[in-house]
Amino acid sequence: MISAILVMALGAIVLGAALGYASIRFKVEGDPLVEKIDAVLPQTQCGQCGFPGCKPYATAIAKGEADINQCPPGGEEGIRKLAELLGREVKPLSEEHGVEKPKSAAVIDENLCIGCTLCIQACPVDAIVGAAKQMHTVVERLCTGCELCLPPCPVNCIAMVPIAESVDTWKWRYPVFRMMPKEGKAA
Amino acid sequence: MTDFIEIQVVYARPERQELVSLKLPAGATLRQAVEASGLMQKYPEIDLATGKFGLYAKLSKSDAVLRNRDRVEIYRPLIADPKEVRKQRAAEGKAMKKGGGADE
Repeated sequence: MISAILVMALGAIVLGAALGYASIRFKVEGDPLVEKIDAVLPQTQCGQCGFPGCKPYATAIAKGEADINQCPPGGEEGIRKLAELLGREVKPLSEEHGVEKPKSAAVIDENLCIGCTLCIQACPVDAIVGAAKQMHTVVERLCTGCELCLPPCPVNCIAMVPIAESVDTWKWRYPVFRMMPKEGKAA
Repeated sequence: MTDFIEIQVVYARPERQELVSLKLPAGATLRQAVEASGLMQKYPEIDLATGKFGLYAKLSKSDAVLRNRDRVEIYRPLIADPKEVRKQRAAEGKAMKKGGGADE
């Protein structure tokens, strides 16, 4: 009887110590769910969802404070991926947060740019190269198409140009399924 | 601390933007970074003596010491004259906006 209790107690102590050690040794930094959601988001940092960037939006989704259909750049595909990840219903993009547009990059009209640096300060991803009274240029590879540089420009020299699909940018598409019947095709 | 710093050198032209990642010994200067990037051979218009250079949108001297993860930027001159544009806009009676989008 005593020996049985001792064995069980010893087992509990050993296993508890092992678990305690493992929880310290293999501690996961941050919330893995937030990381997973953030990986699905397009990283435009555009703020159209109402949060100051993709990570804050991901955190809000994980906490249940935001819905999954607030990201226009991610579009229908992004919502579908989020729904899959979180086991929720796919729903159409919330209209108040914007509309899905083709992936674009900002282009500066060099004949108009006066080197004011306002667009550089607005850019969330440091995609614009330039300094005071020097030509500003958008690095297309870094530009996420968030459009945040457009309003500050005093001479309206920035335009959004859709990125043409090339061998480098082409992506395998998911099978398309319409959530709503196409208008005018009801039969 | 670390003996090497990782930096980028960027030279942006409208049709093509060059981003070169480099690993340089700690204490390297902006000039060394531009020389090491190999962009001067590719683009002869880059001139260390007369050109303007900077770090993350701030003009810097070519002997500035770089820090880890700096981005060295090689600039090109403006085409438009800011003063002329300002005059034109004033003549057209457009409101000047500064700091972004509060003119509506």
